[in-house]
This record gives sequence, structure tokens and C-alpha cells, in this order.
Amino acid sequence: MKKYAVPKYMTVLVPFSFLLVCVILFAPSAFRMLNTESAVTFKNIFNGIFLESIPFVLAGALLSSLLHLWIPEQMISRWVPNNPLLAILIACTAGIIFPICECGMIPLVRRLIQKGMPVYMAMVFILAGPILNPVVYGSTYAAFRSHPEMVYARMGLALIVATAIGLILYATMRSSPLKMSLAQINGQSMPRHRHQGGRITAVFVHTADELFAVGKYLILGCLLTAGIQTFIAKDSLTSIGSHPLGSYAFMMGFAFVLSLCSTSDAFVASTFLHSFSSGSLLAFLVLGPMLDFKNLMLLLSAFKARFVAFLAFLILSLVFVLSFLTDRVLLHLN
Amino acid sequence: MNEPAVIRTHYLIRAIVLSGIACYIYMLDRNESLHYFIAPKMEVWVRLCPIPLVIIALTLLFQAFFGRSRNLCDCDHPLSPSLFRNTLIYGIFLIPLLLGFLLPNQALGTAAARKKGMALTGQYSAEQTLKEKFKSPDIYNEEFTELARLLYTEPVIEVRPDIFYETIGALDLFKKQFEGKRVRLSGFVYSDTSLDQHGAFALGRFLVLCCTADASPFGVFIKPKKPVQFAKDAWVEIEGRIHITTSQGKELMSIEADNIRTIHQPKTPYIYPNDDSVAKLTKELNKK
Repeated sequence: MKKYAVPKYMTVLVPFSFLLVCVILFAPSAFRMLNTESAVTFKNIFNGIFLESIPFVLAGALLSSLLHLWIPEQMISRWVPNNPLLAILIACTAGIIFPICECGMIPLVRRLIQKGMPVYMAMVFILAGPILNPVVYGSTYAAFRSHPEMVYARMGLALIVATAIGLILYATMRSSPLKMSLAQINGQSMPRHRHQGGRITAVFVHTADELFAVGKYLILGCLLTAGIQTFIAKDSLTSIGSHPLGSYAFMMGFAFVLSLCSTSDAFVASTFLHSFSSGSLLAFLVLGPMLDFKNLMLLLSAFKARFVAFLAFLILSLVFVLSFLTDRVLLHLN
Repeated sequence: MNEPAVIRTHYLIRAIVLSGIACYIYMLDRNESLHYFIAPKMEVWVRLCPIPLVIIALTLLFQAFFGRSRNLCDCDHPLSPSLFRNTLIYGIFLIPLLLGFLLPNQALGTAAARKKGMALTGQYSAEQTLKEKFKSPDIYNEEFTELARLLYTEPVIEVRPDIFYETIGALDLFKKQFEGKRVRLSGFVYSDTSLDQHGAFALGRFLVLCCTADASPFGVFIKPKKPVQFAKDAWVEIEGRIHITTSQGKELMSIEADNIRTIHQPKTPYIYPNDDSVAKLTKELNKK
């Protein structure tokens, strides 16, 4: 053991001091280069999203590591009802009890799948949770007070899309979509998972693991979103929306690149009320919380790319078709 | 499984990154600049984050230096031993810190308003108002109607920052009834080619709901009596009379400003939606 004493500290300190030198050397010149008007706007939007997501990501990571250490494997599978429709409905209403934003949901859901929650049920929770909850209902109602039918259409459509995707996944999913399969984790961790530092220490170390696993994707998502908001003018995008189907393409694309929180996107959508059809606004309101840049990055942190692509295809097509139909059938009745 | 030394290095770097983020949030809070990025209702949660972050960082630090080698395991999330990959991954986490510490903390201004698209008042068309007059009013217009009644009693209508959005909404909804009334408000000067006829400009504010990503610029059309020049992103307080202007076939509320003075940017530059604007205004008016 004595042989390890010296390199133990050296391997820690050498790369760190190198990094420190780099930062001190290059920071001032980078600072001058960046200090322009758009850089300040970029920083403002980037830090806005980043800071806002920290509490959610932290809560999600903490909950996930608590689940990991306190709930035995396969425990949840015993609580899941056999009827898939019933299971999907439970997942849909889970958002009412846990009104958390999608940033916190992904580490939590990955852990729930490892603890035996069926994939289709977990995905319904991810998709429906950010829309079907009281906080989002309230903010959508506030933004569309003169058009209350939009609120019910949003909630109803989210329920239908999530249920449909849940049923499709129930029928088609055979292998685990997680990046690391259950067997791999069990095989590796079970024999030596003792953590004599105590369970509390283990919780925090695990939380850090989750934070760093999700964080890098989150920051990439924030960077892309902030870049788009800083460098692309809304007016140049609006011109695409004049065509009746173009408005759907525009609003869905806009929801995807903006990566807003589901609690605040309704206000942004209401500024388009007079220039776009209700159906395209509905597509914006339902697609945004289910699929956007930030969200896609987070999904990729936990699931295989093929599965994420399949899911994105399902969400896009269902939201488009259903919001178009709702527009034709329901919103034009009066 | 990695060598314990590799795991220790990872833990140390992670501890530094996490405490860096905790430090950054703490400093923003102490300088009172957190509100440049997020809305007050979210601030509470963000302000609490340094506590768990520091606890996690301390735990990692302790494990990095004093943890027994046989207890260190990275089995759940295998850590990469590759130097290139790790520099890339931890480099990503330096981005928010570098941006945060190196660039000045500033409120969003004209540049952002131009990209996001300034929304001038005029959301409520005349047709809608008429419909509301004959229909039993819904909750939305009830609030605005009540607010409008209260505002009408003031000799000079003061647009208070904490109910800015609602006050402008009420004035805009009943712009015909308010025509000719005097009004006073403040905001940043925004002008672009579509506005700039006879020195007209928009007096803007950013409406923020959660964070700056959802900030929407929101402006009132101002026609100064005599043309004035402003510095970029200047903040002004104006006083004038409410008028109705037609712009691109739409009726807009405009203010003919006879008194314009430059002011410092207020401590809270953004505006937030208020849950109960009527109660707020009643309290303010009773104080007088």
C-alpha cells in the first residue's frame, strides 16, 4: 500500500495545475474577443436557462440516487398493473403528483426503468408529466385567458399523444433502450457494491455521477438554444409561416429550437395568436415540452440513439397530425 | 473498473466544478444580479442550490483525498481514463463558469429585442372589445376592466413596474375610453426602421416568466412632440397623452410624449406578470 501513497496525490494535482495555468493564460484574450453586444445577450440567455434548470436537475439527480440506494431492484415492477392501458393512465397522472420539469425527469426515469418500471410507462411519464400538471395548466390558462379552449385542447392532446406512444411502445419494444443494460449494471455492481463510506456518502457521490452524466448534455442544449436565440431573428423565421402547412412546420420547429420550460412557453405562444392558426399554436404547446433541443440531448444521455430517433419520429408525426385534426374539428366549431 | 487514482482525479475535478458553480450562484445572489437571468419566483430555488452543491463537492473532496481505495468504485457510471475525452467533458462544464465570471452581468437590451421581435400593444382588437361589451365578461377581462376603472380615477395614470403588463393591457383594451388621458411610464428606448417615422420609438420592457430564454420584449408606441436623440439602450421616463394610431391597418395605442427625461436603468429592469394586479393597485391608491 505504501507504494501508492505518493502517486495518489500526484495524479490528482498535476493535471489540475496544468488546467489552472491554461485558464490563467488564455482567459484575458478570450475575454476581449467575446466582449461584444451579442456575446452579452448570448451569455444572458445561456445563463438564464442554465441557472433555471439547476434546481430541477439537482432534485432529479438526488431523487434518482436515493431510489438507487434505497429501493431494491425490480421493486417497482411489482406495483405496475398488468393492464397496459391502466399503467399508461397512472403514468399520465403521475405528473399531477410530481410536477417537475423535464430536465429533472430524465435521470429519475432512467433509474425507475432500472428498478423495474416498464419502458412504455416511463416514456409516457416523460412525455405527459411536463404538460399534464397543475402548474402548466395554470400558466397556459393565464396566457390564453381569452381562448380557454386552447387550454383544454393542449391538455387533451398531450394525454392522447402520450397514451398513443405508450401503446405503440408497449406493442413494439422488446429490448432495453437504456444505454447501459440492466444485466451490465447488475453484473458489475452487485459483487462489490458495499460502499463502506456509509450510505449518505454514497448518495452524494451518486448524485454527482448523475449530475455530470446529464449536465454535459444539458449545457450543450443550452448553448445551442442560446445561440439560436441570439443570432437568428424571429422575423426572418416568421415569413416561412405564411403557408397554411408552413405555419405548422414553423411553430413546431420554433418549439424545438427554443427549448422553453413548459410552464412558460404558453406566454410565448400567445404572442403569435393573431398571426398563426390555433392548430399550429397547439402543435407548439404540445411538442415543446415533449421534444426540444435540450430535451433531446438529455434523452440521448440515457437512451440509445436509435430509440431516441424512433421516439422523436413518433412524437413529431402524432403531434402534427393530431393538432391539425383538432384545429379542423374542434377549434373551428364556433 | 478504473485505477483508484483515476477515480480520485475525477472526484477532485468534479468537486472543483461543483463548488465553482455554487460560488457563482452565491456571488450572483450577493451582487443582486440573479434577477438579470431568472424570475423572482424561481430565484428562491436557485438561491438554495449552493447548499447541496457544496455538500456534494465536500463529499467528493473527502473521497478523493481520504477515501479508502477499495471503496472507490465507478461501476454505475464508468469513468473514462482517456485524457482527451475528459478534457472535453469537463471543458463543457467550464463554459457556464467562464461566461459567468468573464462577461458583465447585464440586463437584456435592444440587441435581444431586435432578434426576439418587439411586440407592440395591439393584441386586443376593437372587434374583440365590442364583443366583450355585449357578452358576459370572462375572468380575464374582468381583471382588466376593474383595473381600468381604478386607473381612470388617477389624474396622471402611473404605469407601475410591478403591474406594468396588466396596466398596459387594461389601457390597450379600453384605449378609446382612455384617449386623451395623461400617462407616465418608464422603459428602454427601442427603435428600428419600421417604427422610425418622425422620431417615433417604442418604450420597451422584457416580460420574463421563468428565465431570460422566455423573455418577450413588450413595447408601447411613443410619438415625441419634438424629435429626440438617445444613446443606445437608454432608459427614459415619459409623460404624455394617450392616442390611437393606425399602423399597418391595425389600431395601436400610442402616447404623444411631451415630457421625456433620461433615467438610470432601474434595479429590476424586467417586468413579471402579477397574479392580482387589482388588489395591488387598490392598496397603492389607498396609500395616497
